Amino acid sequence: MKRIGQIFLWCSIALLALWQIPSLLNLLTLKSISTPFTLYSCTVHDFTALDRGDGTAFKFIDTKGNVHGEEAQPLFYASVLASKGSLPDSLEGRKISLEEIERNQVIASVRPKDVNKTKAPVYLLMESVPLRLELQDPEDALVSRKNGIAVYNMEGNSLLTDKTAALAAALDSLDFAYPAKLFSGNPSHHKAYDEGYLVTDSQDRVFQIKQVDGKIRLRHFPKADGLGVKFIQITEFENRATLGMMVDGENRLYMLTPDGEVMPTGVTYTPEKEDLLVVGDLFYYTVKTSDSDGEHFFALKSKDFSLVATYDRPYPKDWSFPGIYFTSSLDNWVKLRWRGI
Amino acid sequence: MNKMILYKEWLKTRWTVLGAAVVFAAVSFYCLLNLMKIVEIRSGAILWEAMVEKDAILLNVFRFLPALAGLLLALSQFVPEVLHKRFKLTLHLPYPQNRMVLIMLGYGLVLLTVLFAVQAGVSALVLRGPLVKELVWRIIVSLLPWYLAGWAAYIFTSALCLEPAWKKRVPILLVAAGLLYLMFISDTPEAYSLFLPWLLGYTLLSIVLVFYAVIRFKEGAQD
Repeated sequence: MKRIGQIFLWCSIALLALWQIPSLLNLLTLKSISTPFTLYSCTVHDFTALDRGDGTAFKFIDTKGNVHGEEAQPLFYASVLASKGSLPDSLEGRKISLEEIERNQVIASVRPKDVNKTKAPVYLLMESVPLRLELQDPEDALVSRKNGIAVYNMEGNSLLTDKTAALAAALDSLDFAYPAKLFSGNPSHHKAYDEGYLVTDSQDRVFQIKQVDGKIRLRHFPKADGLGVKFIQITEFENRATLGMMVDGENRLYMLTPDGEVMPTGVTYTPEKEDLLVVGDLFYYTVKTSDSDGEHFFALKSKDFSLVATYDRPYPKDWSFPGIYFTSSLDNWVKLRWRGI
Repeated sequence: MNKMILYKEWLKTRWTVLGAAVVFAAVSFYCLLNLMKIVEIRSGAILWEAMVEKDAILLNVFRFLPALAGLLLALSQFVPEVLHKRFKLTLHLPYPQNRMVLIMLGYGLVLLTVLFAVQAGVSALVLRGPLVKELVWRIIVSLLPWYLAGWAAYIFTSALCLEPAWKKRVPILLVAAGLLYLMFISDTPEAYSLFLPWLLGYTLLSIVLVFYAVIRFKEGAQD
C-alpha cells in the first residue's frame, strides 16, 4: 500500500505539473492577434480592410494594397455618408435608398462554443403572429424526447395535450424520424419577426416548427433531404432573404430561403472548429470563417448567394506549450486533452 | 467492533454533522423558497428561460457547500485523533488496521452521500413542480461535480490530517488544490458529463493517500 500511495502521489504531481506549468507559460507568452475589419466592397469589387490610420478619417485598403476612402463601403457606412450628403443615388446599376440599404443590412455570428455544448432538450416557443403585433415572451416550450416532441405551457409546467397531439400528427404525416437532432431558433422578442425553429430529424431532414395563432405549424424542406445536414442556424434577418444557414457533412454552407430553396454558397465552414461571421448588404454578403490558422473570407452575391471572390488572411503560427488541458476555447466541456507542439 | 468504531466516529463528529445538516437544510430552504417566490410572483416561465437561454443552474448557492462539508467533517473526525495522539492507540487495537481506516472513511463518505442525496432529492422534488423533468435532470447532473468535490475535500483533508510530515503534506495539498480547482473550473450545465466518471474514479483512487499517510504515521515519519 505504501508503494501504491507513493506512485499515486507522484503521478498526480506529474499530471498537475503537465497541466499547470504549460498553462502558466502560455499565459506569460500569450500574444493577441488583431486583424482589421474586412468586408467585400460593392464599389471596388474587392475585399477592403479598415485602417483607422491617425483616427481622423476611415481608410480602406484592398487586397492589392490600394487605399480608398469611405466610398469603398458606401452601404456599411450609409448613414454616415447620408448625413454628409455623399451617399450615392445608385450602385451596381440600380437606384438605392437609405431605407432599403438599412433594411438589407444583416449580421450573424456563430462560435464553436455555441455548437459544442450539451444543450437542454427544451426549446421556448413564441407566438409568431401575436395579437398585439409586437412579439411577446414565449409561454410554451417544445420538449424533445426519444419518441416525440411534447408541447408544454411553462407557466404551470403542464403538458398541452392538444398541441402535442397536433404536432405529433403533423410530424407523423411528414414521416419525421424521432428523435429530433438539431434545433435552432431565437425565442427573443428583440427581433422583427419570428420563424420558430429549424429542426432536423434523426435522418438529417430539415423541418420548421412555429406557432401561428396558437396552432403549431410544421413545414418540411424536401430540397434539403440527402444533404446530411449537421449544423443549422435560423437567421431571421430583417430583409427576410433567408430562413437559415445549413452545413452538410462535407462542411459546405448553404442558405435556406423562405420558399424552401437550398442555395449552395461555395463556402466551406466547420462549425465545430471555426468562428463564423456573416455581414450582408444589398448587394453582397461577406462571410468570414476563422480558426487558429487564420481568416478565410468569401464574398457572395446577395441575390443568389453565388460565390464572387475569396481571400485568406493567415495568422502567425500558433505556438503553445505542450501539456494537459481540461478546457478549450472551442467547446464548453471539461475533459482531459493533450495538446502537442 | 464495527459498531464501536462507528459510535466513536459519531461521538467525534456529531456536532459537525448536525451543523452541516442544519446549514444544508437552511441554504436549500432559502434557495428553493426564493425560486418558488419567483414562480409565484412572476412566472414559472422565468425559470425555464433562465435555464434554456442563459444556461443557469438555479442552485448555484450550493456550489461550495459540499466541499466545505467534506473539509469540516474530515477535520472533526481526524484532528482530535492526531492532536491527542489517540490515533496511535486506535491503530494498536486488536482489529485489522486497513479495515479500521476503511470503516472510518466509509463513515464519513456515507454521511456526506446521505447529506448530498437528501439535498439533491428534495431540490429535485421541489423543482419538479415548476420545471419539466429534463430540466430538473440537467440541474441534478450539474450538481454532481460539486458533490464529488465534497468527497474529494473529505478524502484529501483526511490524508492531510493523518500525514505526519510537511514534506508530504505539501504535495498532497497541491494535488488537492488542483483537483478541487478542476471541479469548479466550469459552471456551464452538464460541462462535466463526459469527464465525471474519470473524476469519480480518480477521487475514489485517492483514498490510497489516506492509507499511505496512516502507514507513515505508524512508522513515525517526521520532517
